[in-house]
Amino acid sequence: MPVVALTVNERAVRVDVAGHWTLIQLLRDGLGLLGTKEGCGEGSCGACTVLVDGRLTRACLALAVRADGARVTTIEGVGADAALHPIQDAFVRHGAIQCGFCTPGLVITTKALLDEHPRPTDHEIREFLSGNFCRCGGYNLILAAVRAAAGLLTETR
Amino acid sequence: MILRPFEYVESKTVDDAVAALQGGGEDARVIAGGTALVPLMKHSVLRPSLLVSIARVPGSHAALVQERSPLLAYACSRVASPTVRSMGTLGGNLCYGESASDPSPALLALRASVRLHGPGGARIVPITEFFTGFYETALGEAEVLTGIDVPAMPAGARWRYLKWTPRAQEDKALVGLAAMLVLDGRRCRVARLAVGGVGASPAVLARAEQALEGQELDEATIARAADAAAGEVEPMADLQGSAEYRRDMLRVWVRRVVGDLAEGRVS
Repeated sequence: MPVVALTVNERAVRVDVAGHWTLIQLLRDGLGLLGTKEGCGEGSCGACTVLVDGRLTRACLALAVRADGARVTTIEGVGADAALHPIQDAFVRHGAIQCGFCTPGLVITTKALLDEHPRPTDHEIREFLSGNFCRCGGYNLILAAVRAAAGLLTETR
Repeated sequence: MILRPFEYVESKTVDDAVAALQGGGEDARVIAGGTALVPLMKHSVLRPSLLVSIARVPGSHAALVQERSPLLAYACSRVASPTVRSMGTLGGNLCYGESASDPSPALLALRASVRLHGPGGARIVPITEFFTGFYETALGEAEVLTGIDVPAMPAGARWRYLKWTPRAQEDKALVGLAAMLVLDGRRCRVARLAVGGVGASPAVLARAEQALEGQELDEATIARAADAAAGEVEPMADLQGSAEYRRDMLRVWVRRVVGDLAEGRVS
């Protein structure tokens, strides 16, 4: 059984994986990090989005063995129980969560967006989040939350 | 969804990859970003016993694409979604051989070439000869795509990549039309048109190009080129659209895109 050594949410870990596992299996089954959700399982819906070495990654498509040596950020590494990340706070305040299944992927994708473009236009937000599906259909609330988060993140810098 | 077991080799060089592919038999597959291959494996369309990764083979990255080939840069920016783009590779997109690829018509319009490396050594194949059928390419047994040569666009070239998706932004192109024109006033010196999503593979619209080159780009000429394009494709039919719909939309978009470029309404 291959052992993958990587950093997850700033913590160095070694995980036994099967050679045919995807990254989401490493995270959920190997490490018990259940925040990352598997929606479609084929790279379309965006629910499983995580950051690998700072790059947006579909954990359902990435092979676990490929993560050796990588730095992975999941939703568990964004904010804390006691203090929500400003993006999470904005999602809560704007009601941009219904069932919550797409939320971890959306928060991670929004983080990648705002890291790159702190003041995105509405068009940029829509374009950037186009690969994250919300089946509750709360897209306008999500747009409002991302806008608000952009304001918040810029103010706190 | 989970994957069936397979062997996995991380190659350090192209030669390593070719050797591993040769040893792996005919169901061995190259994996780079995995955005096309992994879904096919999950659906058991492919059941490779060996994956040969080239993700860690040092490659050259084209920093000049935006400047020298804005048509290609733009077409690449329309692939799927940001996350898929950050994982996938241009080479993988081409080797998948999908008709509705966004970069493929751009590279066809630009008359690019691909570099292939296999057991017999290296060869260069014009992209116009690379797509050979429905999800089929000229890639031979144990061959790896190692590079893409893209001629710089001529100064003053007008271009557009039009991705027609009837339903939603992240869908694949029902018509993905790449166009590049070089004009002298209203006269068309060079016309380069190619389309993805319509026929079984991405294709140059040679008869439409011929209908434009050397001509004054008036309404009648542009309409003739649009008709030529509609006449030279053999459209597919699927849940996204019938063959006739694809043919009609191609005619519409060739007319509009060439008309816009002729009028100077550039991207």
